[in-house]
Amino acid sequence: MSAQRPTGNDYLFEIALFLATSAQGCLNEPPLYGPFRLLDALSRLADFPDYATGLNSDAFLKEIKAIVDEKKFLVMYDVDGFKRAIDGIVEKFAKEAKKRYLTK
Amino acid sequence: MPAFGKIKALFYRALHLKSGCERMDVFEAIKGRRSVRRYKPDSVPDELIERILDAARWAPSGGNIQPWKFIVIKDKNLLELVRKVSPGYLGEAPLAILVCSDKEREYRIGGKMGRDYLSVSDCSMAVENMVLTAYALGLGTCIVKSFSHIAVKEILEIPEGIEPELLVVTGYPAQKPAPPTRIPFREMVYLNKYGEKFRTSME
Repeated sequence: MSAQRPTGNDYLFEIALFLATSAQGCLNEPPLYGPFRLLDALSRLADFPDYATGLNSDAFLKEIKAIVDEKKFLVMYDVDGFKRAIDGIVEKFAKEAKKRYLTK
Repeated sequence: MPAFGKIKALFYRALHLKSGCERMDVFEAIKGRRSVRRYKPDSVPDELIERILDAARWAPSGGNIQPWKFIVIKDKNLLELVRKVSPGYLGEAPLAILVCSDKEREYRIGGKMGRDYLSVSDCSMAVENMVLTAYALGLGTCIVKSFSHIAVKEILEIPEGIEPELLVVTGYPAQKPAPPTRIPFREMVYLNKYGEKFRTSME
């Protein structure tokens, strides 16, 4: 819907705006919307290299984004499934972090 | 007047046909409506927007106060900006209608109860009419409460005394969400006294 492709700075501002308005919302919204917004922010951050110069697209983050976008709406109708999805995402992150920081 | 009625009926019939939608049973609309979060880019014709708003203003309201104000957001830049300050507005849609309550009117006529409670329930009833009508017209909707009231008021230049209540995101659906689960009757319907079993053939 945007008229033109956003620059890295535009995209950064958009994420910051999302985080600020989410923080305001989280003051009064259902508690589970907190993790939901964080996941949504994670999904948006995974796209940041597409707009910013000097950053490379991260295949792992793109994979996580796909999972997040598929699972995040579970919060609306399957809270246990939503929690399991977060556990699964964190498990993937832990394995990836080990690979990135502990190998070699 | 009968002639006018006939013309009006023909007009609405034509609108139904234009939207590819025949008359729909209200229960079918209630059960079929879903929260849609993926939309086609096609714009929504003004005639359909007017029908949605007409349904909204025929909603019940406490003391017939009709505290609602509607802002139809079609301008792409404004819509995009509203989306950016609305964490609950997911997906891109060609239209959103912001339903606001006139708190001053509510207080003047309905007192504290009007301002603090009825204004919210009245706008909610208007929104229910809107989403059901939209569904019957072949449109998808998503009701959003998670938006920054401060930011939306600033962007849409909403004066003091008018409070944004709900955002109705609307467009032609690009998805057909599965029906969400419903709490069974036995957990929420009682006969005569709280906790007493209500027998039903529905479960």
